[in-house]
Amino acid sequence: MVKINVLQHAPSAHLPQRPGDPTPTSRNLDPLMHPFARARERTRALNAAKMERMFAKPFIAALEGHVDAVEAMARKPDTLDIVASGSWDGGLIVHDVSRRTKVFQNDQAHKGKVSDVCFGQEGRLLSCGVDRNIKLWNTESSFDDDESGAGPSQRKPASIFPGKSAFNSIDHHRYDPLFATGSNLVQVWDETKSAAVSNLTLPTSTETVTAVRFNLSEASVLASIGSDRSFTLYDIRTGKAERRIIMQMRSNALSWSPTFPTSVLLASEDHNLYTFDIRSLNTPTQIYKGHVAAVMSCDWSPTGLEFVSGGWDRTVRIWKEGHGSAPEVYHTKRMQRVMSTVYTGDARFVLSGSDDGNVRIWKAHASDKLGIITARERAAIEYRETLKSRWKADSEVNKISRVRHLPKPVYKAAQLKRTMLEAQRVKEERRRKHTRAGEDKPKAQRKKVVIAEQS
Amino acid sequence: MEVEGELEKTWRVGQDEIVQAAGQQAAQGRQEWKLDGGPYRTRYTRNGRHLAVVGKKGHVATFDWQAGTLHTELQLGETCRDITFLQDHSHFAVAQKKYVFIYDRDGVELHKLKSHIEPTRLEFLPYHWLLASVGNAGYLKYQDTSTGQLVVEHRTKLGACHTMCQNPHNAVIHLGHQNGTVTLWTPNLPHPAVRLLAHLGPVASVSVDPSTGGRYMATAGQDGTVKVWDCRNWKGAVRTWNARGGGAILDWSQKGALGVATGGSVNVYTKPSIQTPFAPVVPPPLYITHPVPHRPLTSLRFCPFQDILTIGHSAGVSNILVPGSGEPNFDSSEADPFENKKARREREVKNLLDKIQPDAIALDPDFIGSLAPTPKLSTAVDGAHNIPYSRLPRHERLRVAGKADETEEVDDDAMGVEDENGDGQRKRPLTKADKEKKKMRGKNKTLKRYLRKQRKNVIDPRAVAVRTKLEKQREERRKAQAIASGVEQPHKPSALDRFKRPS
Repeated sequence: MVKINVLQHAPSAHLPQRPGDPTPTSRNLDPLMHPFARARERTRALNAAKMERMFAKPFIAALEGHVDAVEAMARKPDTLDIVASGSWDGGLIVHDVSRRTKVFQNDQAHKGKVSDVCFGQEGRLLSCGVDRNIKLWNTESSFDDDESGAGPSQRKPASIFPGKSAFNSIDHHRYDPLFATGSNLVQVWDETKSAAVSNLTLPTSTETVTAVRFNLSEASVLASIGSDRSFTLYDIRTGKAERRIIMQMRSNALSWSPTFPTSVLLASEDHNLYTFDIRSLNTPTQIYKGHVAAVMSCDWSPTGLEFVSGGWDRTVRIWKEGHGSAPEVYHTKRMQRVMSTVYTGDARFVLSGSDDGNVRIWKAHASDKLGIITARERAAIEYRETLKSRWKADSEVNKISRVRHLPKPVYKAAQLKRTMLEAQRVKEERRRKHTRAGEDKPKAQRKKVVIAEQS
Repeated sequence: MEVEGELEKTWRVGQDEIVQAAGQQAAQGRQEWKLDGGPYRTRYTRNGRHLAVVGKKGHVATFDWQAGTLHTELQLGETCRDITFLQDHSHFAVAQKKYVFIYDRDGVELHKLKSHIEPTRLEFLPYHWLLASVGNAGYLKYQDTSTGQLVVEHRTKLGACHTMCQNPHNAVIHLGHQNGTVTLWTPNLPHPAVRLLAHLGPVASVSVDPSTGGRYMATAGQDGTVKVWDCRNWKGAVRTWNARGGGAILDWSQKGALGVATGGSVNVYTKPSIQTPFAPVVPPPLYITHPVPHRPLTSLRFCPFQDILTIGHSAGVSNILVPGSGEPNFDSSEADPFENKKARREREVKNLLDKIQPDAIALDPDFIGSLAPTPKLSTAVDGAHNIPYSRLPRHERLRVAGKADETEEVDDDAMGVEDENGDGQRKRPLTKADKEKKKMRGKNKTLKRYLRKQRKNVIDPRAVAVRTKLEKQREERRKAQAIASGVEQPHKPSALDRFKRPS
């Protein structure tokens, strides 16, 4: 007997049973049924990289209102979208970033420039200026306004703390009603008292303190940067400076990591950013190279995975923690020297304050869609991200993902810098080649950053 | 189809019996179309749902044979030699007397490809969107049907070509020529990747086996022989036999059944007999045979995902049932016989987005995404490096540490097989004319050495493994000989052997 089986497909298994049902899909996972799987995946990875670049439109809006350069910016701690900015002409504005309106504005907050702003408790704003005053403002409108019926913009400050010298920086304690200022000393103030409570500076230092920041987790720890290329750590419980390092070049800005308490980020004059672990300050944990002029400001994202830096080279760069090169670069012809940068509380937007007096809102991830993303769309986006990370070793995909258009002056400056550094490196190597073996060992760049450590 | 007992043979079972034993739907597969319009050539879409037939006298028809709907029927009035669907049944291309024409589903002529002159055969590479045509002039031309660009044209220099097939797993085009050679072409090389002398006399048909990932190729010559070759090892056919009736038409099914149409009948052979090496020139055991009274038999196509074999002959087209030849499980994302209009449109767009560039076509489809071979050149000068160790690339560091793989590699693919009885002969030495052509003017000895090394930089890991194995065997043999002749003492096992480093 011959057994005969002829193949036939049951339409019920392949066609929708009722009108309106989705068509059943069949899968055969045999790799022979899917030829060119890797080549097709590579094409999809290339397309994913190209699509990311096509959708990269990071600029959202510019918030006007300041007349002169915006050097000071601070985010309100328990909100997502309130940011205060202070400019060189003494103006102070609190912006609502999502509505792009001004919650509070005072054009004569200080005589001279507003050097720093920070938010205190219950939404109060502290600003300090070169007119040797620290002013405390109530930014929310209250029922009992002052008698003149002046709105929030004409209000007088709630209190004024006079000081002995021009203030450069201010930061508020996370929980207690204390704030610290940096001028020629680091002082800790109480909000209820009109004079400084304590002076934390090292007895041997004669520097100008340019930035003071409290640690976000260990709230009594304070860090400061000085004009003598130093970085100092203080503890207000002991009331004195704990440790100090002297670096090759001066730093311009300081930011504590929100998720890793011992990590601090410094924006340096030598075009690099450094992260230090305060437990071992003799060498930085990571060097971030990219800017072609001094880095003026830095700020961590609330996630702690990324940070933004603004530079004298008119660019805003967004870095991933741990990756010391190839950041995202934002630039505009109208944006001049970027003096301050800050992340919003939802980590989706970055604000940059620049020399031209505008505060610009940018997307933190340039190809993000701002609207509602459906589940299907999110799955497609995630798939594309995975494809890119899987094929990032492929040179074409990597090049498309990494390369950014730069303005010609920045590009040329980068070229020149590379040539000069290469010449230096070659010269050093030749010197080493012609010295006796072992006498001149190459030194890692990480070791060259910190010159001395004092405690 | 299985038989019990010695006396029963599968090839004795006729189509009527099979139709009776098959289900109602499967039985619909057994059809005959009586058409007049010259000998017919047929082609299926990738999902096996739509069929295109073209007669020599210019009768073209495309239809959905399962639903019985005719898409279009054209009377072109000139010689038509071949037809192929493009990405699906919505477009098809006909190789007409002088040029290739592309038509819409409804028979509207869309394009006249004037650069494809006197085409004889057409093939569409679905993942690269390339239409390949070969003609009486002996040119193989690739046209990108998504951008419309003529990608490349190759001069085969072997005269008119009447046989073409594609390897669906690596998109390589196999051409069979009038002098008995079979050549394998990719768009990236101006010369064939492999040149094989397959038959004495013109090659009548070539087909590649999809069920083993393109490993086996069957060729038939006008001398009546059918040969099955292993595409990984071109030294000699795996199996050879004489098909009575002259030049045969071949086609391989998805499950590895080989259909051979010779003379007045169609024979089908199944795995594993056609793929295991067999020295005598004896036909493999026959699975199914079917006589077709209309000579000549011009086309043979297995329907994808069905147990149907379509025979094109001078009086039309016949379908016969061949149990066990079709793949039962299809994947909807690749080819779905039951896709509706929406699915077809989405699949077309997705396939366009995933189109692979033609420069990715190579004999080995897995080279994409694989690690680059380590270069054999060293940047050391007199054994010492000018560059600091931290700046050396990885292979240089391995070389400094003494761990690099320095075995000599030989380019196996470029050698090819000039001779049917090739036993590892090298390429024949270059003639004086060739040498003149390849003479490098203005290049000194070091550069020549460098370029020669560059040419030899394709490393086949299998070849390396084989070479190391041979080395080991040679060493063992030498040792055995030395011990036998008494020159060396056999190794006495000692307690310290476990501390010896494996050499």
